[in-house]
Amino acid sequence: MEPVVELRGIVKVYPDGVRALDGVSLRLYPGRVHAVLGENGAGKTTLMRILYGEIKPTRGELLLDGRPARFRGTRDAIRRGIAMIYQHPRLVPTLTVWENVLLYFASAGVPEGEAEERLEEARRITGFDVPLDARVEDLPLGARQRAEILRSIAAGARVLILDEPTTNLTPQEFEGLARAIEGAKREGLAVAYITHRLPEVKAIADLVTVLRRGRVVASELDPRGASEEELARLMVGELPPRPSRSRGGPGDRVVLSIEGLRARGRMEVFVERLEVREGEVLGLAGVEGNGQEELVGAIVGYTPRLSGRVVVLGRVNPTPREYYRAGAAYIPGDRSKALVLHFSVAENLAFLRYAHEGPALLTFSRLARLYREVAGEYGIVAESPWAPAGSLSGGNQQKLLAASQLHMRPRFLLAVNPTRGLDVATTRYVRGLIARLADEGAGVMLVSSDLDEIIELSDRVAVISRGRITGILPAGKATPERIGLLMGGAA
Amino acid sequence: MTPLEAAIVGVLGLNAMVTIALTAMGEVIAERSGVVNIGLEGILLASAWLAVYADIATGSWLAGYLAGLAMGAALGLMHAAIAVYARGDQIIAGVGLNLAAAGGTTLGIRAVWGNYGQSPPVASRPPAFDVLGVRVSYMVPLTFLVAILAWWLLERTEWGLRVKAVGDDPRSADALGISVERTRLAATVLGAALAGVAGAYMSIDYLGSFVKLMSAGRGFIALAAVAFSGWDVLGALLGSIVFGLGDALSTYYTTIRGSSAAAYPYRTIPYILTLLAVSATAWRARMPRALGRPYKRE
Ligand SMILES: Nc1ncnc2c1ncn2[C@@H]1O[C@H](COP(=O)(O)OP(=O)(O)OP(=O)(O)O)[C@@H](O)[C@H]1O
Ligand SMILES: [Mg+2]
Repeated sequence: MEPVVELRGIVKVYPDGVRALDGVSLRLYPGRVHAVLGENGAGKTTLMRILYGEIKPTRGELLLDGRPARFRGTRDAIRRGIAMIYQHPRLVPTLTVWENVLLYFASAGVPEGEAEERLEEARRITGFDVPLDARVEDLPLGARQRAEILRSIAAGARVLILDEPTTNLTPQEFEGLARAIEGAKREGLAVAYITHRLPEVKAIADLVTVLRRGRVVASELDPRGASEEELARLMVGELPPRPSRSRGGPGDRVVLSIEGLRARGRMEVFVERLEVREGEVLGLAGVEGNGQEELVGAIVGYTPRLSGRVVVLGRVNPTPREYYRAGAAYIPGDRSKALVLHFSVAENLAFLRYAHEGPALLTFSRLARLYREVAGEYGIVAESPWAPAGSLSGGNQQKLLAASQLHMRPRFLLAVNPTRGLDVATTRYVRGLIARLADEGAGVMLVSSDLDEIIELSDRVAVISRGRITGILPAGKATPERIGLLMGGAA
Repeated sequence: MTPLEAAIVGVLGLNAMVTIALTAMGEVIAERSGVVNIGLEGILLASAWLAVYADIATGSWLAGYLAGLAMGAALGLMHAAIAVYARGDQIIAGVGLNLAAAGGTTLGIRAVWGNYGQSPPVASRPPAFDVLGVRVSYMVPLTFLVAILAWWLLERTEWGLRVKAVGDDPRSADALGISVERTRLAATVLGAALAGVAGAYMSIDYLGSFVKLMSAGRGFIALAAVAFSGWDVLGALLGSIVFGLGDALSTYYTTIRGSSAAAYPYRTIPYILTLLAVSATAWRARMPRALGRPYKRE
């Protein structure tokens, strides 16, 4: 079968000297889903940004329908039928969905008169529907992504690139996405699918290519012929062992207690009673958007508490500053809100350290030492301490965030989706760190949309649904089925 | 103040408004694209100077206006080259522009007209009409027309949508196939060209000559009007009217009443209004989100 696009011998050296790709070739075929796997920082996103015309390769060529093509920018790529869905939706948040669609159609050369009709057709293919009049900002991430896919297909895309599309999706939403991809395949689109989640590969990929440190280590494998373990080994080499909890049982000291808490953000949450003891991991499961964000905000202190009490390490209703100073740590779910991406890695570490320890005189050498300690201990791959945090690969940003919090040896940790976007090995590694933290006597509250993660680490699992805790299960009884029932709101 | 005096002050206010309004509306367009140009004061001065020079040299006020426009556009191009393409610091570039224009035009007076203070009166002054014995430039009604056009451009055209997209979220705009650089360049040049026209108005039309440092802070007042407006052209027009009236009232108190003490409050009130407006949080939320930030892809 003839590929729609072919990348040949792509080399990419970023301006700061990072060699992200070192001679990578990739072919995308019509009606096939080609999964691109690889550890964090392997170069997957870089390769796709080149295919989308956003950045230029240092060397190598691009063939479209067998003929060499050159893109001066994303617009050229869009015109030629290439569509990219980034890990974090790229729609202008202050405009409406419709306005975003119009701008995209203008780039793609779709006449305005055909817009409605084309969208209707794309709705049929994908099974997606999105409110066109809504401001993008007001939509959850999943809906934004559906809007992007819908408009790409409506604009007549022949190649659809999906960069870790399930990062911000619930399991139910993944099923919708899989159906949309199925529809796109039937229309003959070539799909590139980047993910760290191997079950997804098994479910929807027709071909698999694995990258490692900017090179192809396996090309166009048949996913049915390879087990998850094999794929994982190709991606990262040896896998670290699964984390295990020593489960010495919780201690007596309560590190977090919540009583009659009512808080309001986007929605209202009410929690009658919730406790985390030292040496314990309490998992909080639930479909995203059921009040997790508000509850987390009320614990750390940035969501207004209407009534009730939150006590963190003896501090009653702490402000965020008091929260950190008390010796508690927090890994937020949205790393773009916790890192200043245009500041350097070392500076970001300094901020996070400041939150815990207060003002201190900072010198370059001290910052560099802090960086060396943390990067060495947690294996963060950055060009130098002074590289902007935004130049790290998605996974390394997440590692930086987790490392900066764990490095403070907190006595209470609130972690929200701490392994989102991490490769298999790093996921195990970070989970191991959380397990160790609890084994060493800290209390942990783990909020995650990944049930496996919750079950693997938690001593008890609380389930949240529509702003209420619908049940708390001890580790032995926390099966996916029971948690699922409680997530649906069954008490 | 008699009703007649009040009406005259109103007319004077409209005359004073033009410079600020054109400059501010131009800056709204540039800032919506994410580029801040605090060099407006310098653009006003440089284009005012060149307009007078061209007017005297050719004997045509139209040549004066065109020269002002060209000067504005050229300086806008320079600012965009620094801010958008070289990704330099926009504030420093603006400060540099202000300083260079102040020095350059002062030197220009000496070099061309042989004194240290001002040019001779222009050879050709644009046509105007008379209201209550006050000369009113055709630029006054034209400014309202420009406001409507600029509003339409930003709020009703695809280009306007692109400008807002690159000003609020350049990364997403890039992914939508919009050239962040070209859109910002166009908005910056357009904005500066309007300031150029404003500068020409100030010298050949409003005053009839060039006087050393004659812009007297109007470029900064325009920046205040932009903030006051919440980054909206019609709001900027309204803000400029308020500033223009403040200007006219203080002129009224100093020249007709002969009391400069009473004049100060009227010059101050518009600033206090601006401060109050921009300190409201709802107001700040309207600021273009990527304002002043260069866009880097890699
Ligand atoms: N803008 C940039 N400037 C400099 N280096 C960069 C930039 N973007 C990425 N890199 C570097 O290039 C390498 C590849 O990054 P890339 O984002 O392509 O990885 P990835 O495979 O997508 O990883 P992840 O799974 O973590 O998203 C990394 O070492 C990263 O630090
Ligand atoms: Mg990536």
